[in-house]
Amino acid sequence: MINTLRELRAERGWSQGDLADALGVSRQSINALETGKFDPSLPLAFRIARLFGKGIEEIFDDGLGHMKKAAE
Amino acid sequence: MAQLTFREANKRYRRAFIPAMVVYTVAVFGGSFLLKQFETPPTWLSAIVALIMAAPIGVVLWLMWRLTRETDEFTRQQQMSAMAAGGLMTAFFSVVWGFLELYNVVPALWTFLVGPFFFLSYGLVYCFGRRSLVGPGFEK
Repeated sequence: MINTLRELRAERGWSQGDLADALGVSRQSINALETGKFDPSLPLAFRIARLFGKGIEEIFDDGLGHMKKAAE
Repeated sequence: MAQLTFREANKRYRRAFIPAMVVYTVAVFGGSFLLKQFETPPTWLSAIVALIMAAPIGVVLWLMWRLTRETDEFTRQQQMSAMAAGGLMTAFFSVVWGFLELYNVVPALWTFLVGPFFFLSYGLVYCFGRRSLVGPGFEK
């Protein structure tokens, strides 16, 4: 899954460790999320979205959004 | 109980793991020393010493289980994958060795070695193979 986590973190000047502490996860988790090696659970995705004050779909993209738009 | 953070879960694990290992070390050396005092130790005493030696390992296994429940989801997935891989490798090794033993190709191994084999394979997978075990799920 593609996400904008790295950009959002950079905008705030946070390190991976800062974000990990804010979310209560390991720094390795943040790295795996940013590199797309790991998809978060729904509760973690909500925590991330709330932390950045954005909607989940503004941060995470499963690549199927264009299909939804085409159907509409 | 409230959800623990990754750091809190690790701290809770270490706080219980270290005393368990101290008890294990004391039990192994103390138990061996105690049994050496007898020319032929009574079976009941040997059984008690063996169970006391094994108890801290049971505690450590439980702590590992608790850590996987309390840690963050990415670490949990890595831990569980490594544990499963270690368990499967141990099961496969036991079956292969068991058949070889059945046909007198290899000598009988102590059942005791199954535990260290599991911990070794689990540890090696966790150190060197966990990245390949945890993926983003089903790819399109």
